[in-house]
Amino acid sequence: MAYTRKQNKGESPKLDMTPMIDVVFQLLIFFVVTLKQEDILSKLTAARPAPNTDERVKDQQQDLINVIVAPQGFVFNGRPMRLQELDKSIERLSGYSKTAMVIIKCTSDSPHGFLVQALDVCNKHGMTNLSIFSM
Amino acid sequence: MGKSHTEQCEIDMTPMIDVVFQLIIFFVVTMKMSQDSNMDIVLEDGQHGITLTSENMPPVTLEIEVDRRGRVSIHNATLSDSNLRDIMRARVNKYGNEFPVMIRADRRTQHEKVRKVMDICTASGVWKLSFVAIQEHKARGSK
Repeated sequence: MAYTRKQNKGESPKLDMTPMIDVVFQLLIFFVVTLKQEDILSKLTAARPAPNTDERVKDQQQDLINVIVAPQGFVFNGRPMRLQELDKSIERLSGYSKTAMVIIKCTSDSPHGFLVQALDVCNKHGMTNLSIFSM
Repeated sequence: MGKSHTEQCEIDMTPMIDVVFQLIIFFVVTMKMSQDSNMDIVLEDGQHGITLTSENMPPVTLEIEVDRRGRVSIHNATLSDSNLRDIMRARVNKYGNEFPVMIRADRRTQHEKVRKVMDICTASGVWKLSFVAIQEHKARGSK
């Protein structure tokens, strides 16, 4: 059987790239638009002793720093204050001892944000011995 | 003049396509298709805490979410108190009571609601708890 072979010699077949580039750009734009940047998070660690250890801790430790977190703000050593004042007080005390135990007592109706603020202030001044109690 | 006007100048598309494909692969790999945490939770600012990275957040970390109304969830799946107690007990049995627990609570949540979660953790023997805060605002729409 005889057959003829058709070949176009010398002419290289060309692939049309335009549709592919179109699609690829569409995909790229989709991903750029849907990409969401996340907040950088931090963690503030504290001890949460069991409720019945409260009294024992008080007996053992002499240098205690008491911070009460109330719905209106903070109470430091019996004096109500705002975050800036608490910051200054903790800064002053951190100069004496960084290992002094800080007891953060939260009232049940205080917002959680205040507790985080108090923990953040303690972390700022390098206080490491933090405990959270609930009132 | 010896210039040939019939010869067309062609741009080589290969490197551009390579780069574009690399970008697409990058976006596909880094994209999170579904949100696995409760996005309604508004966190408090805390610039001075330890930055959360994948290195200091081992896979055993348990992240408990408490929303504004006090709904407790893990990966956005609501839990009852007894559910959480069971999960904590199972975790303590498996990893001991030193495994990291992080509480991701809304800044407006009343302490009472967070206390319930903390009490369950303490009752299981986990006394060291971490609270999640925002170190740096990057997301669009956050303050």
